[in-house]
Amino acid sequence: MAKTRGMETQTAAQALTLSGLTKTFTGLGDTVHAVRGIDLSIPSGQIMALLGPNGAGKTTTVDMILGLSTPTAGEVEVLGLKPRQAVLGGRLSAVLQTGGLLRDLTVRETVTVIAAMHEVPERVNDVMERARLTGIAKRKIAKCSGGEQQRVKFALALLPNPDVLILDEPTAGMDVMARRDFWASMREDAGTGRTIIFATHYLEEAQSFAERTVLMRQGQIIADGATSELRTLISGRHVTATLPDAQAVAAAEASDSNVSIVERNGLRVQFSCQDSDRLAARLLGELGAFDLEISAPSLEDAFIQLTKDPS
Amino acid sequence: MNATYIRIEFTRHLRDGSNLLFALLLPAAMYLLFGTLPGYSAEEAGAGNVKFYIMVSMAAYGAAVSTVAIAGTVATETMQGWGRQIAMTRMPAASFVACKMFVATTVAGLSSALVFVLGASTGATVADGWIWPVSYLITLCGSLIFACYGIGVGMLFKSESALGLASGLLVFFAFFGNVFMPLSGLMLDIARFTPMYGFVALARYPLMRDVPEFTGMAPDALWIPVTNLVAWTVIFAIFAVAATRKAKARQ
Repeated sequence: MAKTRGMETQTAAQALTLSGLTKTFTGLGDTVHAVRGIDLSIPSGQIMALLGPNGAGKTTTVDMILGLSTPTAGEVEVLGLKPRQAVLGGRLSAVLQTGGLLRDLTVRETVTVIAAMHEVPERVNDVMERARLTGIAKRKIAKCSGGEQQRVKFALALLPNPDVLILDEPTAGMDVMARRDFWASMREDAGTGRTIIFATHYLEEAQSFAERTVLMRQGQIIADGATSELRTLISGRHVTATLPDAQAVAAAEASDSNVSIVERNGLRVQFSCQDSDRLAARLLGELGAFDLEISAPSLEDAFIQLTKDPS
Repeated sequence: MNATYIRIEFTRHLRDGSNLLFALLLPAAMYLLFGTLPGYSAEEAGAGNVKFYIMVSMAAYGAAVSTVAIAGTVATETMQGWGRQIAMTRMPAASFVACKMFVATTVAGLSSALVFVLGASTGATVADGWIWPVSYLITLCGSLIFACYGIGVGMLFKSESALGLASGLLVFFAFFGNVFMPLSGLMLDIARFTPMYGFVALARYPLMRDVPEFTGMAPDALWIPVTNLVAWTVIFAIFAVAATRKAKARQ
């Protein structure tokens, strides 16, 4: 495809920009602040996970990115366009958590009818193959498993051959095997230069598939970085010990730039560090600490730590 | 409008057995049952015969049931997320509504046409030829007010079984709306306030317009069915809008 240099720099810059994105639902008597001011830039070709517990505001954010709902404040720009224009131009597409399929249609009919609405009838066979639906083409949607239905939605999202693809909880309700299957077909599609943003509450999906992870809690972004960084952030060890006095605590903390205090309860202190063996030797030796425990924090721990409510 | 979408919509409705039964076969069967009884059906009624009268009534019922069934699917499909799926395509929302309207009108038109064809082939007659197309058109256009009723019920209950109930309730409205059999006295007085009364009275008006008063079968003054139809159009429209708002608020 021949693109002008100008366009290339433009599209290569940012696939998606959110600025001050806010959504407030006002019901009868109560107000819900679903999204409280999100700023985010996603460069073209990046695969990003939007990670957070249920109710963090992921789906609300996705809805605004897709132009399905209007922000209370702030702006969304997709490839330099308004969301609706990007959708109509076939450049932005999504697997919707709340999107439904007609139960009485077959898999092929579903793909055919949505292809007609996108005005790309020639792509039906291609996307059915990519989403591995060819074998169940004649099956009614009502007879498809949850995983198969998600693959149908995935095929529908691929129809316009979008530059930006958004997946909202794409594996919700699938068993482990179906999830693995789904990501396998996703992986086949990745590397085509598509920008992929997926919302999930499964850590391992973010870990194994996304280059970048954005953590959300209560409508706000609380962490944003390369997924590998997020892992090194918690790749160290926790060493917990009871120390004889405050000087020893200060000395232990100063022993290495990697050592920091996670939690302190009187003289019982939890340190995080990279080299737990060395810290443990020092604590037990010259600092006279006792009751020493060494533990490895999981990504789950970090996640809980980062996403737990302040209350 | 999108030809592929319309084709698949027709396929769906033809595959759906209960739709087919209630919208197409039932009105035709009822015409054959009540309209071709020897005894009274060949007797005169207004400008034609009783067969013609029953034919128009059953065609009106069939058109209304078809419209309710298809309009209702707009609501249930929207609520079940199909609308969001469509919103992610290039097809504008207006085109979705236009496609559904086209399908609803076509199925309603087919349902009425089937009864009219049966009528014509079993001896329904009328003095003036123009009464055939005019009665047919009133039947078809009038049935569209039931689209609002179908959308309202669909939005309120979000389920296909609710739509079955809506169609069932239409049978009740038809009995009380003077559609299936001529009512008299208090029943007729009540009937004047029910939703199908104005619609079917108008559809029969070309046939019955010259029946002299005090003969039992005389039609009401034209303003009565017109007022009924307008009033129920407004009521159903408000119902559809209110139910849609309520459904969207709960989303």
